[in-house]
Amino acid sequence: MDLLIQLTLNGLFNGAHFALLAMGFALIFGTTGVVHFAYGPVYAVGAYVVWALVALAGLPFWVAVGLGVAATAALGVASYLFIYRPFEIGGSPPFVVLVASLGLFIVIKNLIGIVFGTDVKTVDVAYDVHFVGNAFFTTVQVGQVLAALLVGGGIALFLRTSRYGKAIRAMADNREMATVIGIDTTRLSILVFALGSAVSAVAGALVLLRDGLNPNMGFGAVFVAFVAVIVGGVGSLRGAVVAGFLLAFVQSLGMWQIPTEWQNTIVFVVLFGFLLARPSGIVRRA
Amino acid sequence: MEYLAHVLVMVCLYGILATSFNLLIGFGGIFALAHATFYASGAYAAGILATKLGIGFPFTMLAGIVVTAAIGLLVAFPAMRVGSHYLVVITLALQAITIDVLMNSKPVTGGPDGIGGIPPVSLFGTALNNPVAFLPLAAVMAALCCAVAWRLGASPFGRSLRAMRENEAAALAVGKNLVRMKLVVFALSAGLASVAGSLVAHYIAFVNPESFTIEETILILAMVILGGMGNLWGSLAGAAILVLLPEGLKFVHVPGDIADMVRQVIYGVVLIVILRLRPEGLFPETVFRPPTGAVLPTVPANGPASTLVRAEGTPGEVVVSAKALAKNFGGIKAVKDLTIDLRRGQIVGLIGPNGAGKTTAFNLLSGFLRPTSGTILYRGRDLTVLKPHEVVAAGLARSFQDLKLFTKLSVAENILVSLPKQPGDRLFDVYLRPGRVRWAERENLARALEIASFVGLLAKADEVAANLSYAEEKLLVIARLLATGADVLLLDEPLSGLDTGTVERICGVLRDLARANKAICIIEHNLEVIRGVCDEIVFIDEGRVLTKGPPETLMRDRELAERYFG
Repeated sequence: MDLLIQLTLNGLFNGAHFALLAMGFALIFGTTGVVHFAYGPVYAVGAYVVWALVALAGLPFWVAVGLGVAATAALGVASYLFIYRPFEIGGSPPFVVLVASLGLFIVIKNLIGIVFGTDVKTVDVAYDVHFVGNAFFTTVQVGQVLAALLVGGGIALFLRTSRYGKAIRAMADNREMATVIGIDTTRLSILVFALGSAVSAVAGALVLLRDGLNPNMGFGAVFVAFVAVIVGGVGSLRGAVVAGFLLAFVQSLGMWQIPTEWQNTIVFVVLFGFLLARPSGIVRRA
Repeated sequence: MEYLAHVLVMVCLYGILATSFNLLIGFGGIFALAHATFYASGAYAAGILATKLGIGFPFTMLAGIVVTAAIGLLVAFPAMRVGSHYLVVITLALQAITIDVLMNSKPVTGGPDGIGGIPPVSLFGTALNNPVAFLPLAAVMAALCCAVAWRLGASPFGRSLRAMRENEAAALAVGKNLVRMKLVVFALSAGLASVAGSLVAHYIAFVNPESFTIEETILILAMVILGGMGNLWGSLAGAAILVLLPEGLKFVHVPGDIADMVRQVIYGVVLIVILRLRPEGLFPETVFRPPTGAVLPTVPANGPASTLVRAEGTPGEVVVSAKALAKNFGGIKAVKDLTIDLRRGQIVGLIGPNGAGKTTAFNLLSGFLRPTSGTILYRGRDLTVLKPHEVVAAGLARSFQDLKLFTKLSVAENILVSLPKQPGDRLFDVYLRPGRVRWAERENLARALEIASFVGLLAKADEVAANLSYAEEKLLVIARLLATGADVLLLDEPLSGLDTGTVERICGVLRDLARANKAICIIEHNLEVIRGVCDEIVFIDEGRVLTKGPPETLMRDRELAERYFG
């Protein structure tokens, strides 16, 4: 029973992490159609910046997070402006942009390794451990859930009420029509790349506290985010969040019987099942 | 010397990987990003069999090919159900699982440490335990693998693959079994990649998971893109360049682990730069044009209608009989009650306002959609649940309103690829009965040119379809339809948007087809044309047949005039 509670808790906390990652990716992919593989390494860069600011520059954690989020947003925008946008202007087919993103993926990932080294990075920030019976969780994990709620709520509000948010939804729905009615899609693309990357940096900062960092962390992140977006239904932010939690719960409860190392395999099984049974995802677009 | 030999060995291995990957993505247009998985499978098969069971080289390789081809088939199944982004995710997931499996199945794969002490290849009593000794074997294997890939690319099967890449729906509509084709190309591509895997295992004497991550797949992809998609020689060049390029690093003093990462950065940068500057790669796609020159003089220009194969059966006999077809999309009933008979030697005009369900009717009849209820009989045989390519094989073929030509293929190739029952579409014949394939290819080419001549495209036989005028494109659509050998032809707006001269020409072709005893159904809006060529009109609206009859009678109908013409 204790184990079950622990696994459920883990699913919840990890789900918050996945949901954050999926939200950022869904914003970018759903709006611009760019399969932004480098999302993973960009997220990792955000986490490394936070680490450097705390561990090397000695800044307080929250200040570091703010700067890290800003830096990540800037890197996301830069990857759009300097890598993806020239292809869009040239009218390249989607797969060319996808391959370019793979190129960017290995460039950033390996640059992280060259600059920061390949050892695991951690910071000394104290946090509490709480107990529910014999099961436990940490303040960091509570932070993950809060972050997911705040960021998710904020984005939902932004998309629903603000002028830019509505324009983003219009663009996600039909880019051509959006252009026709005078929406500046370039500006919006910059905005969603900034926003999506910033969201990922929040997730990255919390993972720094929870697990520490290594240069490979980006692949798992973009993989989970991508799968959540597909399982949730492309174009649906809500679906991506739900799918993020779903993946985490399945993974976590799967560990009841299956050894931890098979996490990716569990995710794959979920993905596979969904593609076969419900190819349009959890949330169907109207 | 040792160093040079080592570099060349790596060029050979990556040459195998890049050419086999090119078959999949360049020829088949299947964007599966799991090539490192196939590579790993070959390498681990060799490692495990050699160290645990003491099996020697050629057998480790053969076993690896079989296992890896099976994995390729396994990937192909989900790949067939989904396209584009989904395929990328699925294959990416496979890549992630591969690493999971290699890392976690410790007793078998050695986990993160991998498998060491793999014995070298031993040929004719000599152990190939240094690069110089290994190079000849690597070169021979690379040449063999490239020959296998080249043979496939240049065969009629390769042509079908390229057609599938250009347009899947059209490939289905000319009778290609896409499921089989994808399975074959996946298995073959995977099998070839595994050869490189077994070679590297015996060569380095060591395998570990780190060599087979997503980066490895991206590297092989970069080689293919650099050399040019659809160009196998290009893939070899791409492999050579990307193996040699980072070797320059050896002359600068960079620590080993950093050098590896710098290499990866270089690969990534090269990939992005080549995509920006020359997305088609260094070499353009290989052109495999059929040798029309040798056959052309024997084909009369503006071939007579007598070149058409006369369909058997008596004129007027019902060939296709669709009863009470209905199709729902969710809550929308696109077709409610469609009953239609197509007769030998007759042209039926399917008319009705936009959204009436005309194209859906064609999709139902041709197997592109499965009806919610109702039956389709072809000379008494039930076609209702058949797949599109099976419907074509049975004798019913359709065209598309938006043409869907294989734009990068020539006119002759567009027709050639549509001819039925080609031995060259079967892997067995491609590799084991080349004579039969060559003979059939010659016959088929002559037949394709006859058809081109009949529709008046002979002079354009070697022209790429993308360069045709609109009228010529429409003619090519008909030629392709004829090539399928079907005796029931459904044409979706064959005449729209054409000048009167071409309309007359195509009407003439349609009448010739009817005279050759084929059953024809056209969707058309031009009433003049309909009056001119159709024997019967079927008027549908809101998914059901409102009325049918000879053109003269129907056009005098008051209600119809109001609903449609008024």
